[in-house]
Amino acid sequence: MKRSVFLSLLLSVTATAALAQDPIKIGIPVGLSGANSVVAPSVVQSAELAAEEINAEGGILGRPVELIVADDGSGAQGAQRAFDSLVFREGVDVLISMETSAARNAGLPIVNRGRVPYIYTSFYEGKSCSPWMYVNAWVPEQQVAPIVDHFMKEFGAKTYFLIGSDYAFGRGMLEFTRQYVEDSGGEIVGEEYLPMDGSDWTAIISKLKAANPDALITSTAGGAPNVTLTKQLRAAGVSIPYGNLAVDEGTAKSMGADANGIFIAASYVTGIDSEENKTFLDAMKAKFDGDLNTPNDLSVPQYEAVYLYKAAVEKAGSTDPQAVIDALSEVSFTGPRGTVQMNKQRHAPLTMYLGQVQEDGSVEVIQSFANVDPGDQCPQLAN
Amino acid sequence: MSILVLDIVTTAAILFAVASGLMIILGVMKLINFAHGAFLTVGGYTAFLTTEAGITPWLSAPLAAIFGFLAGIVIERLVVRPLYSRPLDAILATWGLGIVIGQVITLTFGREVQFAASPMSGTFDFGAIDYSAYRIVVTLIAIAIGIALTALFYGTRFGLQARAVIMNETLARGLGIDSGRVRTLTFGLGAGLACAAGALITPLLSVDPNMGLPWLVNSFMLVLVSGVSIPSLALASLILGGAQVAVSTYISPIIGGLTIVVLAAFILRINPRGLGLG
Repeated sequence: MKRSVFLSLLLSVTATAALAQDPIKIGIPVGLSGANSVVAPSVVQSAELAAEEINAEGGILGRPVELIVADDGSGAQGAQRAFDSLVFREGVDVLISMETSAARNAGLPIVNRGRVPYIYTSFYEGKSCSPWMYVNAWVPEQQVAPIVDHFMKEFGAKTYFLIGSDYAFGRGMLEFTRQYVEDSGGEIVGEEYLPMDGSDWTAIISKLKAANPDALITSTAGGAPNVTLTKQLRAAGVSIPYGNLAVDEGTAKSMGADANGIFIAASYVTGIDSEENKTFLDAMKAKFDGDLNTPNDLSVPQYEAVYLYKAAVEKAGSTDPQAVIDALSEVSFTGPRGTVQMNKQRHAPLTMYLGQVQEDGSVEVIQSFANVDPGDQCPQLAN
Repeated sequence: MSILVLDIVTTAAILFAVASGLMIILGVMKLINFAHGAFLTVGGYTAFLTTEAGITPWLSAPLAAIFGFLAGIVIERLVVRPLYSRPLDAILATWGLGIVIGQVITLTFGREVQFAASPMSGTFDFGAIDYSAYRIVVTLIAIAIGIALTALFYGTRFGLQARAVIMNETLARGLGIDSGRVRTLTFGLGAGLACAAGALITPLLSVDPNMGLPWLVNSFMLVLVSGVSIPSLALASLILGGAQVAVSTYISPIIGGLTIVVLAAFILRINPRGLGLG
């Protein structure tokens, strides 16, 4: 997997060099190692496709696009190095990346100092603001509502049990979920956390069974904690409606029967029935063939963000950072997830999909919610 | 309440199964095997490969045990044996070995989470409560492991020799016991047990390159408290595992995760010999 990333990186660099005009440099600090290393290759691939397509069409304002990928180690220290080198040594024109919240928070001061536009493409716990940053992925306001609304309407669920990993994203998501459930007239009958490296959910599951709630919502760290919790829930025979805020399509697929019946909400699933999505998926398959990492809710926003930047530069008529920042909220791009415009306090209203994992691990879209509002994320930045 | 009892008993059984391999190597070889966590991980990946090969998941633990035993014998010859006269360095060598095994697994399978099939799903119905069937089965297997180990050490010639080596290695050699062979077989046995335990717990866990790590620390604490004795390891598992479940249930699972380490330190402070039934 890793080799293919570097290989395709090399290819895209040589391909852009052929255009031989002063390129527009896009910096991509991303977690090639550490917690994000599983998803990072798919993010890099989708950025490569966007760059290749743009270059084939003559670049941005006649200039070719060049991607510079840097490993942020999925954490704060690595991010400082990656951002420093991209902003001050490489002198990139823009940063576009999917990263952990720790990496983003560590990188933001450097972005502010270097005055470089930064498009953050990962869903996150919300309310991170900088005059230089835009976000085109979802926040809790957009993801939690579809699941809770569905549970209340379809299952008449009144009492909820929340389980999460003990870190910023896990707690942030469930804090919002608690608020939302209570505002909607439901009740939280239990809220439990396990450390991120914990794998024994026995006591929590027994508490869950004792509380006997109508529905369960979980927000663990991706990967291992999510899998161990789901397996142990299944082994314990828990069969109430189960919304998982951390499972993505790929994980669901490999979990197979254990994931059966889980509800997820996402702004992107591969099954979206639109011309743009089909074209995108075909292009990804054609470009990466056997090395393709399945596009997902973290990699598709990365693809779209490159186009959003292109649109902003074209509207501004230059890569001048302030002009691009001003233009970013005014442009939109219609891609695999539909039309996205980051015009709500630096965040974007998104179409959210409520899906349910099927027996074979595929995700069936049950309902879509058009233009779900991100709410008040950055009231001090009125766009 | 009865759920709490089941939680405690099954948790203790899992801890016992996971720690037994570490204890046996410590007992006979006076060697703290830092690669124990890596062996557990290898067991998890054996279960994953068993699933990939389409073999019934019931066989994944026995296959892991065989693989672990053979690998343990090879590792003992190559890595541990040259360092017998330098016990501290031997411990560091097992630590390095753990890192090497972890990296080889990462290079071969990638960092992502893998999935092994579970031999059974669903719950047992105990009238008022239903409980995870697999945890019950693991408990029975752990009890079987305990009985088998006791039989091995107290009912066979190898066991007699091993106990002689545990008590006084120099004297044992003087009596004509090939202590090198005992050490080799013991390391193989410990590695085999660790791999089998790793395969055994995969239906409740995810298979990833770091899956053994959290178990390594708990196993250390259990073995420190119990000393080298099968019944006292069982008792230590019951006390520490029980405390973990109780704290997780009545206080907080986050504090519950620390219980084993804190309680072990506390027990050793009061009685530096630990439980020491053996």
